[in-house]
Amino acid sequence: MKTKLVLAALLAAVITAPAMAQTYKIGASVGLSGYAATTDTAWRDGVLMAAAALNAKGGIGGRMIEVIVEDNRSEPQEAVTAYRKMLQSDKVDIFASGCVSAGNFAAAAFVVRAQVPMMLCSILPNPPDQVKWAFSTLPPPKFEVETRLSYLKDSTQIRSFGILHDPTPYANLQATIAEKEAASYGLTVAGNEQYRQEDADLGVQLGRLNAAGARAILKIGLGGTTLTTAKNLVALGLDMPLLNSLDDVNLFRPVADVLGPRFLFVASPSQVFGAIPPGKLHDALSEFLTPWRAKYGDRDPNWASRGWDAVMLTADAVKLAGSTEGGKVRDAMEKIQGFQGTTGVYSMSSDVHYGLTENPLLLARIVDGKAQIVK
Amino acid sequence: MPEATLLLQFLVTGAGTGCVYGLVAIGFCVIYNASGIVNFAQGSFVMLGGVVTYSLWHALHLPLAVAALGAIIVSVALGVLTDLLVVRPLWHRRATMFVMILATLAVQIVVERLTLIVVGDAPMSLPPILSRGPIHLGPIVLDTQVAFIFAVSLLLVAGLRLFFTRTATGRAMRACSIDRDAAALLGIPVSRLVAVGFALSAAIGAIAGILVTPTQYTAYNLGVPFAISGFIAAILGGFGNPFGAFLGGLMLGITQSLATVAFGAGTRNVFSLAVLLIFLLLRPQGLLGTAKT
Repeated sequence: MKTKLVLAALLAAVITAPAMAQTYKIGASVGLSGYAATTDTAWRDGVLMAAAALNAKGGIGGRMIEVIVEDNRSEPQEAVTAYRKMLQSDKVDIFASGCVSAGNFAAAAFVVRAQVPMMLCSILPNPPDQVKWAFSTLPPPKFEVETRLSYLKDSTQIRSFGILHDPTPYANLQATIAEKEAASYGLTVAGNEQYRQEDADLGVQLGRLNAAGARAILKIGLGGTTLTTAKNLVALGLDMPLLNSLDDVNLFRPVADVLGPRFLFVASPSQVFGAIPPGKLHDALSEFLTPWRAKYGDRDPNWASRGWDAVMLTADAVKLAGSTEGGKVRDAMEKIQGFQGTTGVYSMSSDVHYGLTENPLLLARIVDGKAQIVK
Repeated sequence: MPEATLLLQFLVTGAGTGCVYGLVAIGFCVIYNASGIVNFAQGSFVMLGGVVTYSLWHALHLPLAVAALGAIIVSVALGVLTDLLVVRPLWHRRATMFVMILATLAVQIVVERLTLIVVGDAPMSLPPILSRGPIHLGPIVLDTQVAFIFAVSLLLVAGLRLFFTRTATGRAMRACSIDRDAAALLGIPVSRLVAVGFALSAAIGAIAGILVTPTQYTAYNLGVPFAISGFIAAILGGFGNPFGAFLGGLMLGITQSLATVAFGAGTRNVFSLAVLLIFLLLRPQGLLGTAKT
């Protein structure tokens, strides 16, 4: 009898061992090099930190989380390779991918065929069958535009501005929104100029915008070109303000050194934590920022906080679904309501896959090296 | 601003960028003349010029001039090491030129990756070397840093002309550019001149990087765009002719500027390459090169 019990126990152990060891795999296609390196590296670190926090509490749906990271070099072609590898070889359960919109778009068709949900740091693909499986922790692009247009309308005498943007889908979308919405703020768009990430000089674009009557620049795009823009504005003797889209505050400090108070930028709550009043948002930020600051000091938390929220939303969806199966998690994601993240309150539905439905963004400037809300 | 004035302003802007392209192009020519190799690691010298200067100035708090000198020394050391560890062994094995060019491309990638590991991916910039506002020439605005780039570029070009015409080493390098085998038969130490060529072009590349960084940002991955523009400029000017290369750089910078004005920034590379194709078809020897008979 004793021998039979031991054998039964051994058999049970053998049968259940793979299930116990099975992990919940989150794939991350991120640009660890290239133009999105700063943002996507931070996004990845936020994803990893959230996974560690959840693993400390038992993981997702009883499975420990394993994060698989692939560098797409901020290039769409590389992103396709990264996604294919994670789907076919790693067999990930969900994606939590970075900000390279074009890369996420390029892979969306076959990710959808595999019925794997995508949590993204980018704008969402357009085809209805693709957007069905994609969710974003990015604020809807119009929020970034509206934050800046409101400022121009309410706090300045400026009534004409120029748009300077990079050629990414995210930037193009914001530029289009700015052109459409300017009139409703009593503003006119003097011109719309594009630049490339590797451009050595943006003086021509700025000169054209100035000649067209722009009195402020709405810049849309990531990376070091903001610094080039600031330097070119000074070089051309143009004293107009520069209002930048969301990015890493550490990239903004040298820009503020060049332009001073003329440099303003869209900030997420985590970048101006000190100004956030006590409440649910403050609590959510504290939960994330405490381990973040312990590990990374004053490194910018914005993109990481979006990665953190992506994983926490995934955990919430799995809990709602009562399953880790891709289709069920996708369906549950659409049912999430009033989820307090570090980047705002998320409420999804079949029509709303950008979960942030109320604008959580603020306008800020750098004062004494710190991001401060512009009153 | 009237259209003509605006156009003149954009010509000045384009010429400033063109000076830097021209310096990068000169770097290509110096190595090509000494060795016959197109060194695609040239962009890494430009990148290191800015990145190392910034790192020494910002992290070690060295004076800007000392930091810049340090960056030039680091770049020269890299240039010489590229020759000693990559080019020369391949040369001795009689590797084809294609293989050596690929090897320099590999050097570019290795340097880029190492820079990423050592200094990270954050964009960097330097303060203006001349700390005064822009110069107003009537309605035209000339950034003092761009004026400085013009001046230093012209001095460098003049200095290089003296070097190639008045010094034994320079004349020996010109002999190599005409016929390396004949130069070797005449007792000219060709392999040593290749090392000198790498050192010189690395120094010129680093200076270009130091000059341009106060006007924009630099980062580990900005070497390749400069290398591509410099390569095009070198062909436009007449590959192998340093002074033609500088003119090619100016031409390219102005072309890009005018293309942006007329058709938008998305077309600047289209126009750069279109001009390159026109030259390759109609004047393959470039602006100052001589046609091969």
